[in-house]
Amino acid sequence: MMRRKRPGFLSLTLKSFLVILLIACVFGIVKLRSDFLKLEYSIGELENKKTNALRERKLLLAERTSILSFAKITTAQPSQEGFIIPDRVKVISIDKNKKYMPYRASLEKRNLDEP
Amino acid sequence: MIFNHKILANSARKQYIKVEDIQARRGIIVDRRGRELALNLELDSVYCDPQNFTRENEKLGTLASLMGQKPEAILAKIPEQGRFVWLGRKMEPEKAEKIKSLKINGLGFLTEAKRYYPKSNLASHIIGFVGVDNQSLEGIELKYDKYLKANGGKVIVERDAGGRILSSGVITEIKGNNIVLTIDEVLQQIIEKELDKAMSKWKAAAGSVIMMDPFTGEILALANLPDYDLNKGSSANASERRNRAITDCYEPGSTFKIVIGIGALEEKILKPNSLFDVSRGGIEVGGKTIRDVHKYGVLTFKEVIQKSSNVGSIMVGMKLGKERLYKYAKLLGIGEKTGIDLPGEVSGWIRPPEKWSATSIGAIPIGQEVAVTPLQILRAYSAVANGGYLVTPHVVKEIISPDGRTIASFNDRDKIRIISSRTAETFREILKSVTEEGGTGTLASIDGNDVAGKTGTAQMINPATKRYSKEKYVSSFVGFVPADNPRIAMIVVIYEPRGQIYGGAVAAPVFRDIANQALSYLKVPIEEKQNKPDIVVMR
Repeated sequence: MMRRKRPGFLSLTLKSFLVILLIACVFGIVKLRSDFLKLEYSIGELENKKTNALRERKLLLAERTSILSFAKITTAQPSQEGFIIPDRVKVISIDKNKKYMPYRASLEKRNLDEP
Repeated sequence: MIFNHKILANSARKQYIKVEDIQARRGIIVDRRGRELALNLELDSVYCDPQNFTRENEKLGTLASLMGQKPEAILAKIPEQGRFVWLGRKMEPEKAEKIKSLKINGLGFLTEAKRYYPKSNLASHIIGFVGVDNQSLEGIELKYDKYLKANGGKVIVERDAGGRILSSGVITEIKGNNIVLTIDEVLQQIIEKELDKAMSKWKAAAGSVIMMDPFTGEILALANLPDYDLNKGSSANASERRNRAITDCYEPGSTFKIVIGIGALEEKILKPNSLFDVSRGGIEVGGKTIRDVHKYGVLTFKEVIQKSSNVGSIMVGMKLGKERLYKYAKLLGIGEKTGIDLPGEVSGWIRPPEKWSATSIGAIPIGQEVAVTPLQILRAYSAVANGGYLVTPHVVKEIISPDGRTIASFNDRDKIRIISSRTAETFREILKSVTEEGGTGTLASIDGNDVAGKTGTAQMINPATKRYSKEKYVSSFVGFVPADNPRIAMIVVIYEPRGQIYGGAVAAPVFRDIANQALSYLKVPIEEKQNKPDIVVMR
């Protein structure tokens, strides 16, 4: 009669460990999937918030642009005169920043060819 | 093995897959300094699903009052059949929130882009507007539609059992290109304000002002009155929407004398001091007598232009001859579209010499029997200002992609030399005399800089009688400043002024008031050395 060899302590432990590992893996995957979904929801919510914020930003920008229009500024003064552009004969502006001087036009400075 | 795999898979797919529209947003429009002129807002539109709609009288009453309608009117919009009907489009945010809070069954909301023009009426004839579905209808919105608009499309997103959309990381919005205009908001506001003042003062029917860089053809400002609020563009009438500066023709009157002046100088048949005896005060051409407003004695060619003598101008025209007169009219762009990048431009009209009548040689030199647009006349005078080049007027400076790349730049548009610089310089001196003492345009002169220009007064045709009206005139002034180093060229046209008709009295002061403010804004220094400023502002 053959005597079956009883599983050793090590083998049992290993098997149990493998079973536990398998279960842990399954739960891990479920958890991972759940976390992943949570993350997607969070990102989705953040994207919604971002969309709403951008939407509000557009509204505020439009309002600001409207308020800062030159027409509003000229009529916002308490007096009827509104904004007054300085008298050129009395006031001279020397602007060191030439960035906004696209209007400079001179016959001398342009190489206009004769026919 | 799973039975009906395909059907079940499709069914599942329908549950977690959703096809969403990619929102297309038009590019924005800004002025030459980046100030926004056309923007997009994201607004809610409310729709109704008639199959799910439950009528609750109290809520319906509130909804109706919020939408400014009667409950019956709202109910009338909702059909028995079908699953979708708009109840209100692109509503103000506060109103939309209030409607949402009513929680009416069967009502839903969709976000839509609404074009918004923050400066309302400003530059309305340049910018144009779009319809409720963002279809381009006028102005730059129409002309550059293919650049401004973006094509939407569909995108597939995942959703859960509750219908909530999961983050997909896909693009759900695409934008069109942005457009940078050549106009300047401040200059635009200045011309609109001054034109409005003139319209009120002279109780005029309409008016146009165009300001241009004479060297580049960049339109710095363009205004017509009446105008309209771009945010209510669809409700504006045809008269308000008309861009008179490029779509309306008028007989230019004396501003057309540039043609005979330039022609005579270029052909070297006259000098500024050549003499003309206009002492009879009239001249007969083809059986018709044309008179001067005042009787003059002997005038030089320069004085003929300075005083705007009709008799003298006709004499110059006769010396030039009809072939050459026509040639120079065409060279100066009369009867041709300028090529401005705005819709609806007309070419004007001048008959070829073979079709002239016996009186034409007496009429055309003084600006009759021809039809021009204000822009054509301004372009012709710009050729004198810039030393002899015909420029291409334009309102778009650059097209910029959403990521900031320059797609197209129109800084160097074509310009053709049409007259010699010597002729331009001589005629410029003549035009300077118009705003000096003894000229017809003294009211256009400004402190500190010379103004070169020409007045124009023309009778309008009475459509009923098809004859010149004795009550209706077009008064105009066209010129450039500073005369010797021009920064701006400008035309002012006032249609049907009352109380005064002459261009020198009606349009010239408008030119002066605009030029004064514009030069101050552009920081153009005064030229007179004896005028020392009281204040010097260092920046």
